[in-house]
Amino acid sequence: MEEYDVPSAASILASVKEQEARFERLTRALEEERRNVSLQLERGSLPSDRLVGGTTGGSNQPLAWQQMVMQEQSPSNQTSLAMMQEPQEVVEETVTIEEDPGTPTSHVSVVTSDDGTTRRTETKVTKMVKTVTTRTVRQVPLGPDGLPLPEGSSPLGSYTDSIDRRYMKNGERFITPQATSTLTRSYNNYSDSYNDAPDSQFRHYTLHDGYGDMADNYGSLSRGVNYRPYRPYMPTGGYRPENSYTLPIRKDDYGHVAQPQVPMGSSTMDLNRSQPERFQPEPYGLEDDRRSLGPDDEEPYDLEPDYSTANRRTLPGRTIREPLRNGPRMRGYEDPIETELIDERHPYIHGMYPAPLAQPERGSLASLDRMGGRRSPSIDSIRKDPRWRDPDLPEVIAMLGHPIDPVKSNAAAYLQHLCYENDKIKKDVRQLKGIPVLVGLLDHPKAEVHRKACGALRNISYGKDHDNKVAIKSCDGIPALIRLLRKTNDMEVRELITGTLWNLSSYEPLKMVIINHGLQTMTNEVIIPHSGWEHEPNEDSKPRDAEWTTVFKNTSGCLRNVSSDGAEARRRLRECEGLVDALLHALQSAVGKKDMDNKSVENCVCVMRNLSYHVHKEIPGAEKFQDPSALQGPGSAGTQRKKKDDAGCFGGKKAKGRKNGEHDKNYDTLDLPKRTEPTKGFELLYQPEVVRLYLSLLTESQNFNTLEAAAGALQNLSAGQWTWSNYIRATVRKEKGLPILVELLRSDSDKVVRAVAIALRNLSIDRRNKDLIGSYAMRDLVSNLPSGQQRPAKNLEEDTVVAILNTIHEIIIESSENARSLITAQAIDKLVAINRTSQSARETKAASHVLQTVWSYKELRNALTKDGWNKTHFQPIPTGTPKGSRSCKPGYDDTTLPLMEKNQGNRGCSGGDMIPMGELGPDGYSTIDQRDKESKYKSSDGSSDLQEREPLKNDTNRKHYIRSNRPTVSLVDACDVKPQPVDSWV
Amino acid sequence: MSFIPGHPVTAVVQRIEIHKLRDGDNLILGFSIGGGIDQDPSQNPFSEDKTDKGIYVTRVSKGGPAEVAGLRMGDKIMQVNGWDMTMVTHDQARKKLTKKNEDVVRLLVTRKSLENAVRQSMMQH
Repeated sequence: MEEYDVPSAASILASVKEQEARFERLTRALEEERRNVSLQLERGSLPSDRLVGGTTGGSNQPLAWQQMVMQEQSPSNQTSLAMMQEPQEVVEETVTIEEDPGTPTSHVSVVTSDDGTTRRTETKVTKMVKTVTTRTVRQVPLGPDGLPLPEGSSPLGSYTDSIDRRYMKNGERFITPQATSTLTRSYNNYSDSYNDAPDSQFRHYTLHDGYGDMADNYGSLSRGVNYRPYRPYMPTGGYRPENSYTLPIRKDDYGHVAQPQVPMGSSTMDLNRSQPERFQPEPYGLEDDRRSLGPDDEEPYDLEPDYSTANRRTLPGRTIREPLRNGPRMRGYEDPIETELIDERHPYIHGMYPAPLAQPERGSLASLDRMGGRRSPSIDSIRKDPRWRDPDLPEVIAMLGHPIDPVKSNAAAYLQHLCYENDKIKKDVRQLKGIPVLVGLLDHPKAEVHRKACGALRNISYGKDHDNKVAIKSCDGIPALIRLLRKTNDMEVRELITGTLWNLSSYEPLKMVIINHGLQTMTNEVIIPHSGWEHEPNEDSKPRDAEWTTVFKNTSGCLRNVSSDGAEARRRLRECEGLVDALLHALQSAVGKKDMDNKSVENCVCVMRNLSYHVHKEIPGAEKFQDPSALQGPGSAGTQRKKKDDAGCFGGKKAKGRKNGEHDKNYDTLDLPKRTEPTKGFELLYQPEVVRLYLSLLTESQNFNTLEAAAGALQNLSAGQWTWSNYIRATVRKEKGLPILVELLRSDSDKVVRAVAIALRNLSIDRRNKDLIGSYAMRDLVSNLPSGQQRPAKNLEEDTVVAILNTIHEIIIESSENARSLITAQAIDKLVAINRTSQSARETKAASHVLQTVWSYKELRNALTKDGWNKTHFQPIPTGTPKGSRSCKPGYDDTTLPLMEKNQGNRGCSGGDMIPMGELGPDGYSTIDQRDKESKYKSSDGSSDLQEREPLKNDTNRKHYIRSNRPTVSLVDACDVKPQPVDSWV
Repeated sequence: MSFIPGHPVTAVVQRIEIHKLRDGDNLILGFSIGGGIDQDPSQNPFSEDKTDKGIYVTRVSKGGPAEVAGLRMGDKIMQVNGWDMTMVTHDQARKKLTKKNEDVVRLLVTRKSLENAVRQSMMQH
């Protein structure tokens, strides 16, 4: 939208010059009357000449544009163009709350191999969540200088666009004392009413010129003018000089100069005086920093009704980035206001108008300046010149090397603030070689310094720009972080370190580096102590419970990410001493305390799930446990070939089940191996005892991610042909896990349904399980299928539908009983509908496999024909899609597993798996997801969708953070307390 | 609609008034939404700026009230009955849209084509 604000360079220059001249005059006047604070001074002292220039210079353009568009826009046109604008009398305040440093972002990808296991790559990034709250305050229509506020000067005055786009009524605040007090009052009111009615302000406006008179508004165009709140900056100007470059002694001298733009009421004066005093006791202005950064500091101010509070609260709204951005960007938006709203009323406001741009974020900078002022040349110059200037980024980075420690720490804190959600600045910091300096500061002996440096690194490491992560790694940031983790006992620093590591761990190439440098340290320093697990439990001490600290959450999140980095990473984690034991202990303690909806539990389960992936192949000595019957067992290569033939020719005898049944009977009576000594380490992963743990989680947890991961763990453990997976499958049955899983098929969460469906599929390798699942789960499986084009209320994703279809297929293979119960569950209707009408080639194909298998049971054909079906319904619908493209690909790394091969064989008949659904759009967000997955699958195996687990998860225990799932980028956790539909019909 | 937090943004918006369809106890709008500050914005197929956590129209059912009113797939919902929708969770947005006691919802939406229209008209002058 930059197009709208392009004042010509010449006009900017001209007005800059003009403003500069004016500024000079005023400055001189100020010098003379330094002690007399007057309204004139207020305007003159603003250090904002160039910006003023921009403001005036470009002022005409938006106007012209507006008129023009209005002409274009015929009033009868229903699609009137309107730009949003807030009513003038609205003063908005942005409160920025930074919440939970460890808010994870996760990125999940699933790699499925053909052996029935899924490895899920989960990448979590700790993120600072900044909750920005817009407060809209209706200014009491008391004209600052007696002028009435033009009410509803914009026809669309009622529209508040959004938090980040705001238009500040910038006049009143600074003009008169009344204005100040009014404002303050409104803040107070606001604090009271904000929580219960976030919309009260909006509603208010709606009342007087909202939709009620829509006819008027239609066809009219108003400018959308959205501003950063300017008002908050203004007080800054008042304080800064005192704080920043006036030593206490000289405070009086500069105080007056510095304050002009602050309203002159007596209360304001008090305020201005008191503020510096508040800060001075704090050597480095830390409190200020926090105020601008941290939520904890924020909240109290909301409740505090005194003036200083109001002023302080405005601070967070101040964006530190502004000073670093160029003014013209803002200009386009400012202009209309300037011309229309302000010019006539307060002609002199020009002088102060752009001030915000010239003001740095107050908290950090004020203190920074105060520190830096003594030496930094840039600030020295400021002393000579009352105009104040932000340190630019190179200067801030240079300050990191300043000999005075507080300067270092403040510079780092300022960097942290600058970098917050600003990828551009992060990149600039990187290019200005700021990252090695920050990493260097990690080893600084002063806690203040390494803490702030770590904070800056955490922000820098967050985000999708992996170059920043790489930059941290390249200057040995990871070992430095780990060193600091070993050294420090400061909880905050540990949280920052682990948060940074969590961020870094979201980038694939860094995972192994983190494992190499930090795995054992993280385990010993964080995981084990916080999990409550003890190497050698003291006889008389009670077993300790896990503590769900932020540090633990961050660290487990980091491990969750690195655990997805392939076989070698898994091996390292499994063999990391105490890790599996501690994670299991933590989970058991979570189950014991019935406290399993939190993020830490989710992380732990996910690590466990990832470590359970491919255990049957990756565990040392696994070959000893390979089930000899696997060679002949169900789904061996021979069976598969036969299957394929059957599917192809629609004939075939269904005599297969029997032999397998014999094997399965053995499983049922299988005795669990006796152990002489307690298992420890990775062996714990696949002991049948864990089944109970996962089942408890599946029963109790409300967190979809945890549910999905627990089901995924069972899925992984029940895959493959080795002794332990036989035990696991039997144990799930004996622990009455099948009903639990079936129950979860009714979950609202797509991915839970999917994980459970796939787990059931693997469990049905066990013949008895297959029979049970066939009789008890069929109805729930079928009810999850869409009927025709109309998707069921649940709106399951394509992947889930495919997973369910494949599970059904698996269940009815070699079991005409199960096929019969499929028919009685009214599935044929749905299957035929999917086969015929689904827009998804994968769904079509999977349904077609099921139908073919059903038809292959000759004993059922009679019943089918009676229901009006004939052979054509069960034949694959020819498609133009490339056939079997996927199945032609070499298997991922497993060729022995029966299930996959069977399906793969079938799949070969119909092919067409490759068509991504993404383009269809109707699935909303899910489509992208699928596309991502799709690409994953392409690289793995044709059968992968049989095994895949949905990577997208809803997090139930955390609100308001975001998760994304793209396989290679760090993701955000999208969470809500309730099962969060990604896409809701309304 | 890309914007940088902290920077002003203008949006060209359209008002859409949808009269909900009553179906027994249910009021039907006939479209679905995606997005929200609790959702992963990078998965939003409609946003230009993949950090945009706004609420988007993901589907519009054929012949439904929303389609009749002119809502289109991919529209970004800025407001619902005056409530801001650019900084809400998915569920909050859903709730605002599905209030049982409101038969009419008035949306403020923005879409790319609107912006383009404005841009075009600007260029002509």
